[in-house]
Amino acid sequence: MRLTIKTAVLATIFAAGLTAPALAQDTLKLPNMSYRTGPFAATGTPHMNGQLDYMTMLNERDGGINGVKVQFDECETGYNTEKGVECYEKMRSEGALVTQPWSTGITLQVLPRTNVDKIPMYAPGYGFSAMQDGKTFSWAFNPPTSYWDGASMIMNAISGDNLDSLKGKKIALLHLDHPYGKEPIPLLEALAAKHGFELLLVPVGMSEMQSQSAQWLQIRREKPDFVLMWGWGAMNGGAITEAVKTRYPMNQFVSIWWGAHEPDLSLVGDQAKGYRALSWNFADSDSKLMQDVKKYVVDAGKSQINQAGGEFDTTAYQRGILMSVIMAEGVRAAQDLAGTPNIDREQLRGGFENIKLDDTRLAELGATDMMAPFSTSCANHTGHAKAWMIEWDGSKFVKVTDLLTADRAEIDPLVEKAAAAYAAANQPWPINDACTD
Amino acid sequence: MEFIHPILIKPFADMVSAPDFLVQVLWEGIVSGVLYALIALGFVLIFKSSRILNFAQGIMVVFAALTLVGLYERGVPAWLALPLTLGVMLVLAIGIERVVLRPLVNQPDIILFMATIGITMFLIGLGETIFGGENKRMITEELGIPTGNFIFEPFGGFVSIEQKDLTAVIGAVVLVVVLLLFLNKSKMGRAIRALGDDHQAALSVGISLSTIWVLVWFIAGIIALATGIVWGARAGVSFALEVIALKALPVLMLGGLESVSGAIIGGLMIGILEKVFEIYWGQPLLGGSTESWFAYVLALLVLLARPQGLFGEKIIERV
Repeated sequence: MRLTIKTAVLATIFAAGLTAPALAQDTLKLPNMSYRTGPFAATGTPHMNGQLDYMTMLNERDGGINGVKVQFDECETGYNTEKGVECYEKMRSEGALVTQPWSTGITLQVLPRTNVDKIPMYAPGYGFSAMQDGKTFSWAFNPPTSYWDGASMIMNAISGDNLDSLKGKKIALLHLDHPYGKEPIPLLEALAAKHGFELLLVPVGMSEMQSQSAQWLQIRREKPDFVLMWGWGAMNGGAITEAVKTRYPMNQFVSIWWGAHEPDLSLVGDQAKGYRALSWNFADSDSKLMQDVKKYVVDAGKSQINQAGGEFDTTAYQRGILMSVIMAEGVRAAQDLAGTPNIDREQLRGGFENIKLDDTRLAELGATDMMAPFSTSCANHTGHAKAWMIEWDGSKFVKVTDLLTADRAEIDPLVEKAAAAYAAANQPWPINDACTD
Repeated sequence: MEFIHPILIKPFADMVSAPDFLVQVLWEGIVSGVLYALIALGFVLIFKSSRILNFAQGIMVVFAALTLVGLYERGVPAWLALPLTLGVMLVLAIGIERVVLRPLVNQPDIILFMATIGITMFLIGLGETIFGGENKRMITEELGIPTGNFIFEPFGGFVSIEQKDLTAVIGAVVLVVVLLLFLNKSKMGRAIRALGDDHQAALSVGISLSTIWVLVWFIAGIIALATGIVWGARAGVSFALEVIALKALPVLMLGGLESVSGAIIGGLMIGILEKVFEIYWGQPLLGGSTESWFAYVLALLVLLARPQGLFGEKIIERV
């Protein structure tokens, strides 16, 4: 009898442990898959510092989100997909409300699990572009804008909103030879076929990131009219240095947002004048948002940032802050919808589908002009925020355009096709037909 | 027959039609080759004297470069930061000998190899704790390394040679010459070679194992610093430099693990051939990015013919 009671007690404890993740929690477990080590730490670290510092600020200033403290643990992946999957398993078993894979490679690996494990995946400004289709990817979110949105905005900007003007021209895509770097290729190929420009793919292997002479010799030989860059980590600094060395015209060199990273440009300073990057955020250290982070986290000695190195003012750190701002808005929306501050994964999923970061809300958050307003819905998991083209003036980035818009007519059919192909390849894959807008 | 043209004719026609570009490709290959040789040298030196494949060589490059830049950022002038960094590398060599190697004397090679993986992990953590993970600018100008360009206009085209690349090549040549003189002409150098040839015989004639290990790890530290300065000048100093250690492996396979000259010639061969292959065959025919694997394929082909590498010692063991 004693054995039976003991067994029953153990079984209850075990069962409770198993079901705990599905239950609402007294802290909001929003862990991050970070990489503060390895070849991508240089760009990863400031983003992760920003994400962490905003959550720390909410805990310090407001006591969390609607009174529930945020538990923002990190699991180190080193940008390695296998380690990322291990981190995913760990976080899942520890009851994480969300996973933040922080790599397109890890995102693609974990994406099929989201429907099974029913954990929302949050990939702000990265991941698989077709994740915008909430009907197909019920549990995956990539606000505020996707790589295909970014590629479209860049193409609109360099063509003066007339892609036919690129007919006969050559556009090189210098990209990391990795799922992330290859992400814009389908859209760019479609645009090249439609508008008659030549797309030259220039991959950069992981071990060549710091020595891109072969890639830039190719660029010198092929003389492309524009070089678009989808780089990350040490690749961006390497490319900018080689561009200077090759004397490639900086005003024809345009990067996706990750290339808006001041320490990479500081390596060459004035010589990179005219280099541009499309960015969905713009650094404003004097904003109320950043001043609150400074007051409650940085000045309080609770931040890991390199203050002497000026990390606080960088676009990457402040982008990390905004990534957590968006997530916190998703949590708030979930709490409002659920009518309780203690939410579960399903409720958070609902929250992510109801983010409304309009101008009024951005002003309340003290983030006016730091990013464009956007909202998500059941069918739209990206939000499609607009972005600015920012330019390096020799010492800092300045805005050189108004907010740019992606061409939905080009992107949406591709998304529909890619989402359908993904669902077909991963059968049985649930489609949320109730999701119409 | 159509497939023959892009493989056997067009690449050579391209070389002839744009000779200035070919010169640039060869120069870039030489610079890469010298850099690969530098990294491989660090491996070879330690392997020669202790039969340890030093997994930590890559992170030593990062650590040395970070120490140099980190000291400068903390207000130490460049002329002082350089010897201080060398001092740090000496302390590191002594620490590794005392804490890691000495207790593992006579252990199987694989144990020592695993110990160097441990050193790698330790240095990653220590480096990040002290210096942070962000990309830092190498203090190239402050060290007196020229940063301009030499522009030549041969054959009606142009060839650009960066002064810092030229400095790197000259510096590497000087370093190698000094190293070879040290190994062949000095008493300590001969002791290192003796230890590599036969541990027990060397010990029996009074060569101190711990002194030689400290010396060899210190020299590897100097080479790591030189490598870190040269690579860091190209794209900044960050933990991404660690990846370049991967480039040393095919060089070692090609040149042999025990041969200083093998490391140099192997490095240059790989540097030049991979660049020429990438530009004239890889990019037009295979979509590029062949540098990631070309060196390994080349090394494997060499290993098929000479398992000990081009310059490695043929070891015959009685069983």
